[in-house]
Amino acid sequence: MASAGSGDEKAAAAAMITLISSDNEKFEVTEATATLSQTIRHMIEDGCTDGGVPLPNVTSKILARVIEYCKKHATAAAGEEGSSSSFSDAAFLEVDRAFLEELEEFDDAFLEVDRATLFDLILAANYLDIKGLLNLTCQKVADSVKGKTPEQIREMYNIVNDLTPEEEAEIRRETQWAFE
Amino acid sequence: MPPGAGIDVLPDEVLHHILGFLEAQESVRTCVLARRWRHLWKWATGVRIVAHDGKSFLGSVHKLCNFFDSLLRHRNPTSPLHTCELTFTSFGPWMSGFSSEDEDRWLCLVNAWFWRAVSCQVQVLILRSGPTLALDERPVASRHLTRLELECVMVNTRFLDFSNCPLLEHLEFRTCFFDADDGSRLRICSPSLVSLILDDIWGMAPMLESMPSLVKAVVATEDSLEYCRKVECNCEFCGNSYSIGDDTGNNGCVLLKGLSEAKDLALISAPEQIIFKKDLRWCPIFSKLKTLLLNEYWCLPDDFRALVCILEHSPVLEKLTLELSSKEDRQQRERKGTLRPMEGSAAILEHLKIIEIRCDAVDEKICKLTLFLCAFNIRLSLN
Repeated sequence: MASAGSGDEKAAAAAMITLISSDNEKFEVTEATATLSQTIRHMIEDGCTDGGVPLPNVTSKILARVIEYCKKHATAAAGEEGSSSSFSDAAFLEVDRAFLEELEEFDDAFLEVDRATLFDLILAANYLDIKGLLNLTCQKVADSVKGKTPEQIREMYNIVNDLTPEEEAEIRRETQWAFE
Repeated sequence: MPPGAGIDVLPDEVLHHILGFLEAQESVRTCVLARRWRHLWKWATGVRIVAHDGKSFLGSVHKLCNFFDSLLRHRNPTSPLHTCELTFTSFGPWMSGFSSEDEDRWLCLVNAWFWRAVSCQVQVLILRSGPTLALDERPVASRHLTRLELECVMVNTRFLDFSNCPLLEHLEFRTCFFDADDGSRLRICSPSLVSLILDDIWGMAPMLESMPSLVKAVVATEDSLEYCRKVECNCEFCGNSYSIGDDTGNNGCVLLKGLSEAKDLALISAPEQIIFKKDLRWCPIFSKLKTLLLNEYWCLPDDFRALVCILEHSPVLEKLTLELSSKEDRQQRERKGTLRPMEGSAAILEHLKIIEIRCDAVDEKICKLTLFLCAFNIRLSLN
């Protein structure tokens, strides 16, 4: 779709931001992609993104995945990220149904990761303040817990029960109303 | 298991968020997982209470009330809520043991939760009831609320004033009863709205005040109190002699005027309902309307004036969908009218590219409509 010359025009139109992972890998992304992160949005607004944005809490492996998510969602960003001023833009509501379905398929495939990666993505989404990604990943964890007994949840998520049997009995008494 | 793969690497604020996606009882039950988890649920950013058939838990009104009450008392009262969902649809068997005392207690608790959610800065608030439930008569004032969905709720004059909810973008009333003590018409004041759903209006259709940011709306009024059954009546709507006019100054337009900024509209009604036809006396210009869905109400056999009026007032319309059902009972009540020649209609439909007709079978009614639309040089796709 790009003809000769249009690439330059495009680059001029879309400001690029460099993100630097904890292991010093550089990622060049458009501003539209980067600003799905409220944290980075604020940095841009404060004019402190020259020379790249260091993200000491995010490894290159995770940052690559986060960017993959942001790129895909940047076009639908207006509504997704809950920014009320841009939500009024009709563009979002008129987005093709096919595109929304594609986005859903993308999200499903995106979540096909091991548990450690899922937690890393959650931590990155929380640190970078990317609401859509945080909701997506947290929902995934919540779904995996649904219908499970406390024992099953502990086993699934490596939770060490440090309550004495007496304490546990006491807590159950206090919250009996939630245990039928 | 590799070290670090445990959920405990996540900070409390994230765990609060995760717990917010669980139904309330599951969220509370995490208190026995470990010491760290004991109180986490009290800060969960979402509260979801879902009681319906087939669930053993919360399956009786007593249990539900006790749970409701305990949750209200034990949750951290100031911790902000993002989402609050209260669903009590299809109550099923336990309704049989529903005494009036239970009902009062239940009503109090639902109201208490609703208003607690508002005070906890809730952004998304959903209340779906089975039996019709009356909400306290006072306006919602919140600088945080963005989305409000109500089902089977009885609302009143003061409740419908959302002028103190500057971020409210989506409002949804399904099977809600619009009830004013003095029998007057209620008004919905929600100036920041982007999308509105008024599905299955009971009582009298509420007057919609100006919504400059509105993009999308669905309004369905098939069972409201404003109808004419054509029996022992000779009003203008039975005789199909109702008047149609332009929006000029002093007007009594109830629904259409407030919807005039929308880009995407669906207007559904039943043949005996009169509110939309009455509104056509003061039909506004839908200056941004791109896609429009209408049902058979707008194109009764041989009388397409309502349809033409809407089209004439939609200068930039691009897609029209006509949803026509061929239900037997509807056909019984069809009205006869005379096919009127349309004058000055050539100017309409300049931008209209697509008309989609959804119907079960092509019958005489649809043939007539097709012929009528062909007069405008419109190509049809029949689904």
